[in-house]
Amino acid sequence: MAEPAQADIRQWLSGLARKNQRWIRATVVAGALVGLATIVQMALLAWLVHQIVIEGQNASTLTPWFVALVATLLVRTLGQGFQTQFAARCSEQVRRDARRQIHRHWRDAGPVALADSSAGTLAREWLDHVEALHGYFARFLPQMSLSVIVPLAILILVFWLDWLAGIFLLLSAPLIPIFMALVGMGAEKVNQQHFETISRLSGQFLDKVRGLTTLQLFRQTEDASRTLHRRSDQYRKITMKTLKVAFLSSAVLEFFASVAIAVIAIYIGFGLLGYITYGPSADLTLFSGLLILLLAPEFFQPLRTLSQHYHDRAAALGAGAEILARLATPVGGEPASDTPASLPDHGLSLDNVTLSYQGGKPVFANLELTIERGKAVALTGASGGGKSSLLHLMAGFIQPDSGAISVFGQPPGQCPFGWLGQRGFWIQGSWADNLRLTSPEASDIAIENALRLVGLGSVLESRDQGIHSLIGEDGQGLSGGQARRLSLARIFLADYDLILLDEPTAGLDATSEILVLEALHKLAEAGKTLVFSTHHQALLTLADQVLIVSDGEVRHA
Amino acid sequence: MHELKPWLDLILQRRGRLVVGALLLLATLLSGIGLLALSGWFLTETALVGLLLAAGTQAYINLYVPGGGIRFFAVSRTVSRYLERVYNHNTVLQLLTDIRVALFNRMAEAGHRDRGQKSGAQWLSRLTADVDALDTLYLRVIAPTALAGVVSVLLVLSAWLLFSGSLALILLILLAVAILLSSWRVFAGTQYLSGQLSDQQEQLRGDVIEHLEGFAELTAAGRTGKHSGRLMRQALAMSRTQARVDSRAGWHQAATQLLVNLAVVVTLWVGITLFNQGSVTGPVLVLLPIALMGLLEVYAMLPDAFAKLGATLSAARRLNQEVQPAPGTEYSSAFDRQPAEATANALEARDLSVGHPGLPPVLTHFSLKVGAGERLGIIGASGSGKSTLADTFAGVIPPRQGKLAALPCAYLTQATVVFEDTVKANLLLGNPNATDGDLWRVLELVELADRFAREAEGLSTWLGSAGNRLSGGEARRLVLARVLLSTAPLVILDEPFTGVDTDTRGRIAPQINRWLEDRAVICLGHGPEALLPSSGHTLHLN
Repeated sequence: MAEPAQADIRQWLSGLARKNQRWIRATVVAGALVGLATIVQMALLAWLVHQIVIEGQNASTLTPWFVALVATLLVRTLGQGFQTQFAARCSEQVRRDARRQIHRHWRDAGPVALADSSAGTLAREWLDHVEALHGYFARFLPQMSLSVIVPLAILILVFWLDWLAGIFLLLSAPLIPIFMALVGMGAEKVNQQHFETISRLSGQFLDKVRGLTTLQLFRQTEDASRTLHRRSDQYRKITMKTLKVAFLSSAVLEFFASVAIAVIAIYIGFGLLGYITYGPSADLTLFSGLLILLLAPEFFQPLRTLSQHYHDRAAALGAGAEILARLATPVGGEPASDTPASLPDHGLSLDNVTLSYQGGKPVFANLELTIERGKAVALTGASGGGKSSLLHLMAGFIQPDSGAISVFGQPPGQCPFGWLGQRGFWIQGSWADNLRLTSPEASDIAIENALRLVGLGSVLESRDQGIHSLIGEDGQGLSGGQARRLSLARIFLADYDLILLDEPTAGLDATSEILVLEALHKLAEAGKTLVFSTHHQALLTLADQVLIVSDGEVRHA
Repeated sequence: MHELKPWLDLILQRRGRLVVGALLLLATLLSGIGLLALSGWFLTETALVGLLLAAGTQAYINLYVPGGGIRFFAVSRTVSRYLERVYNHNTVLQLLTDIRVALFNRMAEAGHRDRGQKSGAQWLSRLTADVDALDTLYLRVIAPTALAGVVSVLLVLSAWLLFSGSLALILLILLAVAILLSSWRVFAGTQYLSGQLSDQQEQLRGDVIEHLEGFAELTAAGRTGKHSGRLMRQALAMSRTQARVDSRAGWHQAATQLLVNLAVVVTLWVGITLFNQGSVTGPVLVLLPIALMGLLEVYAMLPDAFAKLGATLSAARRLNQEVQPAPGTEYSSAFDRQPAEATANALEARDLSVGHPGLPPVLTHFSLKVGAGERLGIIGASGSGKSTLADTFAGVIPPRQGKLAALPCAYLTQATVVFEDTVKANLLLGNPNATDGDLWRVLELVELADRFAREAEGLSTWLGSAGNRLSGGEARRLVLARVLLSTAPLVILDEPFTGVDTDTRGRIAPQINRWLEDRAVICLGHGPEALLPSSGHTLHLN
């Protein structure tokens, strides 16, 4: 997976934002309301102080102003509440969209391409990396707008009160984005590395835990613990380098905010004393002076919040990079354009098929192969000779570089068919749930029959609830042989015309092996088209036809 | 909350760092409050003096002390903020290492735990998420809560000194309610949802992994669309729950801020009378409300942190279960078994019953002797208990009954475990003292030497995620090589040739036989062809 360009990631993120513009806008409006309420609150506070301290007003005359202040506070509270609520809603929608995209990609890529990455990694992308987009859409993006709107409103008010103080704010303001951009650019790249380090380190920890029994058997747990400690510490040092830089951006902001407040306080103080004889300072009152002072931190607050949410952006970019890299992996293209020659025999045919993996030498070159409907065909030959690739081609899981494949006159994968991989597949749930995965309409009786056909009947009899009992409730799960038989039961139940099997008996115990052989025999007798790869003698005997696949050649035995 | 105790103890081992970090936080916050409050005080003072001067009255004002104070706070706020962030994040990363390493060590001590074959990936990602949840406990929850408490008390005390006892009491009540609202209330209101959230997420992760593991079968059956639709609905339900938690925290935060702002209003209201009575000066009247507004910053950190605390608690609860000693095994005893007293036999079992703890025994009253250098083959169908027997022989699980004495052994488990590391590191586990020459020799033996000689990195070739770059047969041969490197006098091989094709097996099995010549070997398999060719006498399990 190539690292996607920054610009592409940003484009992808803004694509997601565009679709949910409504909620982002609502969040910004609520946030702006909070900002305005805050300005009014500060104005009322300054006004009240002025009335008390300078004008000597008493409580009774000021009561309406206090009421107004409390009302403003209530507005501010409501705005704040709604802001988070809208933000949460927005992020919810965005995550749904992103997950949909990944799902679509999985479907297009097909099982073989997906098997290159572990299921855990793929699940992490779909689950955790999409979750990592949350902060960006719920916090960072709305705050971007707010950090323009609110300071601008404050700036206008301060200019109206005292243009010299306004200039102080204005001067410090444009420097902030410049500094932040400078620091941010450095921090961003390192931040992404940080993201990678975390996932790699987390992988290291998990890897050790996963193999804990093995480490214990070799008495290597202490060594592994030391390795873990050393690598964690390396990770901490790398990360601290990043953070020292990243925190500079907030320090710069903090510095400008502090200095601006200090300068304004001293300027206003001197102005109030009448020490400044030029400019607007002669008109300063305690009200206007105090208001400017109270607004100064609020001027910087949205930017400070933004810088706090900066890691949300970095997290989203990091996660976005991985998601986009996944979305950008080639999906093997559409089925080769040359449509299969019309095939009246309705069998399986490969016509002039060439297949190679990523620039390597071709697995097959100009392969011609026909399999008649209703035959059982065995593929045999040394491992790595291309048996699995041939099965994948017939299944439509991979597409040939050139040539045409036809399954009963249609492109492969068009009609449902049976597939039995080297590892059987089962989900947590009952036996019935497992069989209904592929045949949701199946009756209980049909399910029970299918399970009996593959020799799982005895397992059911020992359970009270029969096919509705949970698999693995004894804490042991299924053995490899049982899992494969369960997959076979699905094939029986669904009654497919074509069944492809990859080493159906490899690694099975004697009982399972016999049961699988019997099951395949029944399928062959029922007139199904079976294609399987195997080394197993009994299976070879079962086949109508044996093909030897080695070094890109397919020969009849 | 007691579930957090072991982790809090671990965190508190860095007490010195935590205190320094908290003081830096306090310095930052006080500098911020000081800067604004002093500026407010200064403005009011200058306004009053300015009026007197304008009226021609003699008045004196000291400009240097407040001016210097304002400049000092401006600098100290910046510096302490930067130092605080760098220092505390370093602490957090150290805690992160502490927690991971401690967890790993405790799990290693807790002994073998049978998790079933299914839960692997699911359990591991859950573990990651759970550990992550503990990492930020200090910086997100403990430090801000302590800080909010300390600064609030300081401000209540100043209200008492500068204003009046009754105002101090009102502020105490308002601020206490605000703290409770933003911490305890949020926690109580979201604990259930947040705990549910992590369960939902793990349920979903399991389902996604199942979906992906069965992707070939589901694609073949044309069922991926329906199945992924179900996953999408689950994901949406989860996002909904999260949105509810977020909104709840948001509203509590808004309410908290309202309370703090009301404290400001009350202070000003009470101040009017006190000012008119002359017991409070104008500058002091301004000082306290502004200082109170400084509290908003620290209170704002609490609701989000406490909304996540529910999830943190359930994470801690799950981790505590992980590090409980496995049922039936005494602390680390299984792996540090004493060698057999009678060295004549490599393994001696008398009246042995074996089985996984908590389940009915698979084999009972079983007696067996394997002399030094002898061979034993054990054949049994899957489910006949042969792996349980092998686990017992190797000391992974303790015998249920009877006596078992064995020499130190090297054990090839039924599961193929390849670490995400180099080929070399993977092999050296078997014998840390082996030289590169030894490694190549043993790779030659299992016919993997050519495979890695072709790689540019040779023995340093990195084996990717779960050893994915190896085929099933290659991975099996690699872990077989690792066991063969060990010099233990007893070797137990459970299904040594899973996934290895017949031809290769035919070539490497005799070589392995020769390599293990004078050692005792117990080989288990599903049929005679799965064993080593010269397996001596053979037992059949039924």
